[in-house]
Amino acid sequence: MKVGFIGLGIMGRPMALNLLKGGSDLTVWARRPESMTPLLEAGARGAGSAAEVAAACDVVFSMVADAADVEQVALGAAGVVEGARTGLIFVDMSTIAPAAAQDIAARLADKGVTMLDAPVSGGEVGAISGALTIMVGGDEAAFARVQPLLACMGKTATLIGGPGAGQVAKACNQILTGIGVMAVAEAFNFARKSGVDAAKVREALLGGFAYSRILENHGQRMLDRNFKPGFKAWMHQKDMNIVMQEAHRLGLMLPGSAATAQLFNAMVGSGMGEEDSVAALKLLENMSGA
Amino acid sequence: MRVGFVGMGVMGLPMARHLLAAGHDLAVWARRPASADAIVAEGAHLCVTPAELAARSEVVISVVTASRDVEELALGPDGLIEGLASGAVHVDMSTIAPATARMLATRYAERGIGWLDAPVSGGEAGAREATLAIMVGGAEETLAQVRPLLACLGRTVVHIGPAGAGQVAKACNQMIMVNVIQACAEAMRLAGAHGVELHRVREALMGGSAASRVLDVMGGRMARRDFAAGIQSRLHHKDFAILLEEARQLGVPLPVAAQTWQQLNALMALGGSLDDTASLLRVLEAQGL
Repeated sequence: MKVGFIGLGIMGRPMALNLLKGGSDLTVWARRPESMTPLLEAGARGAGSAAEVAAACDVVFSMVADAADVEQVALGAAGVVEGARTGLIFVDMSTIAPAAAQDIAARLADKGVTMLDAPVSGGEVGAISGALTIMVGGDEAAFARVQPLLACMGKTATLIGGPGAGQVAKACNQILTGIGVMAVAEAFNFARKSGVDAAKVREALLGGFAYSRILENHGQRMLDRNFKPGFKAWMHQKDMNIVMQEAHRLGLMLPGSAATAQLFNAMVGSGMGEEDSVAALKLLENMSGA
Repeated sequence: MRVGFVGMGVMGLPMARHLLAAGHDLAVWARRPASADAIVAEGAHLCVTPAELAARSEVVISVVTASRDVEELALGPDGLIEGLASGAVHVDMSTIAPATARMLATRYAERGIGWLDAPVSGGEAGAREATLAIMVGGAEETLAQVRPLLACLGRTVVHIGPAGAGQVAKACNQMIMVNVIQACAEAMRLAGAHGVELHRVREALMGGSAASRVLDVMGGRMARRDFAAGIQSRLHHKDFAILLEEARQLGVPLPVAAQTWQQLNALMALGGSLDDTASLLRVLEAQGL
């Protein structure tokens, strides 16, 4: 099977490298030619456009920034659709709105291309170690065909449902991680302001019902005052915006997400956008005084 | 003055009537010409396209629904920009995004056409009684040119700043107003849960520090359980999406407005989109609509 990969940023590059390591015959394209270099050096073929990638491949993956980018790559000038032969499977692993994923999938289907939305959780670390969690929406047969490829990039790949269902699962993931990070930051700020050692609090709580991966990992980074990304606050803000826009569209009440989205606004507005989400602790400290 | 008018809704019609009554030479254009029947019968001239309306007018005033509508009216096929002479002015009194207002001001300026965003507060009653509060963004000399017209429509006309600034003030107005509606709904819900008469609570509070126009009007509607619009809640729902999107872009936290937005989302889901925003009380009662 010939495999293509479009978008070779912080996430896309290691994911594509893992496909190569898994023995895929890989063709790549990225908007900035220099980001293709590490892949070409590792043995991938370079293409001149998304259409050229599609023409050479049976399955094309993309990992780009937002819905406009996915639309451009899939349906724009020199996009996947221009090079695709009938039966091509296009797997978009970016995080975009479910409604946008459904729209792009429907327009690709008209041209004989099957799209899966397959956003990921696990960050750069998960991308490098091939341990991502992959949430998939779309056709079951197409999912079965690409499953061995997904296994090169992720620890688990779950078919959630039809088109857009992967993005719904990702939005749920961002609700849980966004509110979760804020909850840990609030608890630590509460402990600090009460004159109690937050490290001891974390240690005790890890044994109880409040245990979570976020308390363990993000909590440790907060205690270490390690605000290096990781997952940048502005990206979490962007993802929470997808959640809030969907809530508006669907008539959904999401009070916890709404509060969290406002704290991300405050982080970005006060210059913490490039730091990890765990810098939320600093924001709460600044707003609560010493 | 030769004045053009677009938008014959609950706000626009009484506003257009004030201009006629003040002796202005009024022409109108309407997407559905039948909606202009009343004002034409009272002496306004009917135009076939926005461009035709613009060509005969020194000033065109519009009161429509959304950013998209204003953009289409100004720049669409046979749009105002094709008819307005250099030195003429488009005064948009709709509630739209500040960014759209700034964009239109720039496009008009390229042709020497003036622009004001002049959204209003005061509702249907304010439009009927010519007591609207008008908040204006745009050049001061442009405002001076049309101030006599605006004085026919409202009690206060405040120049806020450059293009878009009127819409910023309107966004602040919407945020305060709907947040306070939510606060009133919560107070009424609490009083109701205690089995206390809502109208007595409202009456007592109107004499004290919590008195406000919203408590007076919307609190009254809540106490009477009169949820017929007023102001259709879907319009506030729309305003809050714009408001919170801009807060996101600016990196400004609006924690209370974000919660009010969620209550409005719930109201839409419960089928209350055409009811008055006082229906936020019913979301708290969660009894369905």
